[in-house]
Amino acid sequence: MSKALVRKDRLQGAGLDGALPYLLLAPSLLVVMAVLLYPLIDGLRASTKFYRYGKPLRDVGFDNYVQLWSDPQFLNSLMVTVSFVASAVILETVLGFALALFCSREIAGIRFMRTILIIPMVVTPVVVAIVFRLIYASDAGMLTAISQTFGGGSVEILGRPLRAFIGLVALDVWEWTPLMFLILLAGLQSLPVEPLEAARVDGAGGWRLFWDHTLPMMRPILAVAIVLRTIDAFGTFDQVFVLTRGGPGEATRLLSIFGYDTAFKFQQTGYAAALFVTMGLIILACAMAAVRLLKKVEAK
Amino acid sequence: MTTPSKRAGLTRRSLLQSSAALALAATLVLAALPRPASAEGKKVIIGAFADGGLTPFKDKIIPLAKAQGFDIQFLEDEYGVTLEKWFADAQSGAGQYDLYLLDDPWVPQFGAAGVLEDLGAAGIDGGDKDWIGSMIDMGYWPPRDGPRVKGFENATPTLVTVPFVGDLQTLTYRNDVFTDGAPATWEDIIAKGKEGVAAGKIKYPVVFRGVSGNPIVTSWYPIFLSYGGQFFDDKWNVTFNNDAGKAAADFFVGAMKQNAPPGVVEFDSDQEGAAILGGDAGAIIQYSGNALKADDPTQTKVAGKLDFGVVPKKEKAIAQMGIFIAGIPKSAPNKANSVEFLKWYTSPETQAKLAEAGSIPVKRSGFAVSDPGNRLIPVALKQLDAGALPRPRTPDWAKVEELLGIQLNKALQAGSGGGAALDAAAEQVTAYLKQAGYYQ
Repeated sequence: MSKALVRKDRLQGAGLDGALPYLLLAPSLLVVMAVLLYPLIDGLRASTKFYRYGKPLRDVGFDNYVQLWSDPQFLNSLMVTVSFVASAVILETVLGFALALFCSREIAGIRFMRTILIIPMVVTPVVVAIVFRLIYASDAGMLTAISQTFGGGSVEILGRPLRAFIGLVALDVWEWTPLMFLILLAGLQSLPVEPLEAARVDGAGGWRLFWDHTLPMMRPILAVAIVLRTIDAFGTFDQVFVLTRGGPGEATRLLSIFGYDTAFKFQQTGYAAALFVTMGLIILACAMAAVRLLKKVEAK
Repeated sequence: MTTPSKRAGLTRRSLLQSSAALALAATLVLAALPRPASAEGKKVIIGAFADGGLTPFKDKIIPLAKAQGFDIQFLEDEYGVTLEKWFADAQSGAGQYDLYLLDDPWVPQFGAAGVLEDLGAAGIDGGDKDWIGSMIDMGYWPPRDGPRVKGFENATPTLVTVPFVGDLQTLTYRNDVFTDGAPATWEDIIAKGKEGVAAGKIKYPVVFRGVSGNPIVTSWYPIFLSYGGQFFDDKWNVTFNNDAGKAAADFFVGAMKQNAPPGVVEFDSDQEGAAILGGDAGAIIQYSGNALKADDPTQTKVAGKLDFGVVPKKEKAIAQMGIFIAGIPKSAPNKANSVEFLKWYTSPETQAKLAEAGSIPVKRSGFAVSDPGNRLIPVALKQLDAGALPRPRTPDWAKVEELLGIQLNKALQAGSGGGAALDAAAEQVTAYLKQAGYYQ
């Protein structure tokens, strides 16, 4: 072998080979740091400052965080968000599970039905909100038109706090039940059939089969689906922005809308950063609690 | 013995070399591709929010500007997102726009942040007597008159924006219902409107916007002003919940709601426009956006039945003034073109063309045209003379409007408790302004 080739091999083995994995990882690491780590650190830094006219004026330590808990608007938004997430996720789980149970059976036309059921999930959320606005609108909405056909009056949904809240939950349930359905259907189809067949041979009826076998085996999958959907529901923004903008009054003002207005409309950047950090911590706490619960269930 | 390169068909080194060669080749090919020819003319990128008040400008003035050698790019967005979008653009120096067509209450926010060019220094004469005085006043930051926010008490007023399209609230009413001409008082609107309902001519005497925030406050504003209300004293203490303000709020959430369409709590400009143009409502206080459609049979079912007048009075007949106002961000890529465009646009000749196109001009000479493009224009001048006031000049107006709007909306839902709503809003606004340093 020539001297030049030996040298080339040595260089390749000692230098390039050793550095290559890091070189290949570097772009991904840089991207992650730029889009994840830097905004996170910058957000935390901003949350400790007092802003006016879009500029940081002074450090205020944790004052923004303390102020949140005495701000009636924040507390109201937190309450609305928790109520919304709880209502929507519970309904979506129950409906999604029921549909998954129905669609897990191999009957004629079931594949077509499964496809139809996931359509709402693939429609753009803003479009869904616009369509629901056209359904709910008291002046020219579909519900009002139906009501008037039967001699009724205008159906006021978006102008009454409780109705608007229910209307928003209904929208979310319509759009995201398919996600729960899809996850739970996959879960049902992956369950072992032996225990179910054995129970059936022992004379267990449909309800007993579900309660004693299917549900316990599905618990880990249910927990994962609920955690995923809960995290996602906390961040709901576009549907509310289009449908109610948080109104009437503050009846549908989720934390995401309040935070958006605070940050971009009122330019209280530091306060909004504290709000979003707090919101992130609440979601993290929920997720951790759910994971702990999941571990307990698995241990049983 | 074989070398590594001979052992395998593809080594990491050859892969890297091939990738580099491919990237170089792609770069060269892209560089060699013919680029689309840039449009000729002096480029000006204008950002605007979607509003019918700008239709004459879009339809008639932009073609004139093009004939003058300007290459206008008109970028429209929904009202609800423009403030935050443009403020982020200006503050980050992104330079996506040459000219913002702002809603005038946003001027303090942009002015205080120092993100707009000094148009006086750029050669635009704010002292020109042809400007409508109350309109050019809105272009300065800090304001030339009235209270100033902390930090700007001693600053010299700078012309950071110039009026672009004049706009203010006026009354639109059904001439087959109000047969004696424009109703003079708020009570007239209700009383004669009820007669119109009884006669089957209309369904509701009045319509307005009830959505929280800017819409409901805008609808309540002329009633509040006509009752003699005032938002703040000269020290920024809240005064909107005085007796006059409470009486105006009670009238608004009570009598006005009872005589408006059901669901008015959720009405914004689209719904109120549909109610008046569709023939359901007898009267409305509105800006020019929907008023300009009053004679167009393709836009209204009651063409020929809609007339204009000054807003009704209680003690006075004062409307809210809310103009389109133009500012050049410091990050604008074509500043010189934008200044030249504004000089051309605000010249008496172009203002006359604007009035002929149907928009309310921002210079007095524009009102003198013999053939204004819309019969609303002389009424707007009458309203200016009768009284029209802008919203308070503070960068925190958006927050104040939000807090007040939420409480008014809650009272409107209930159909009573306007005075109590103002007290609740006053408490929240005071707490907010205190925290923002107004009373230190």
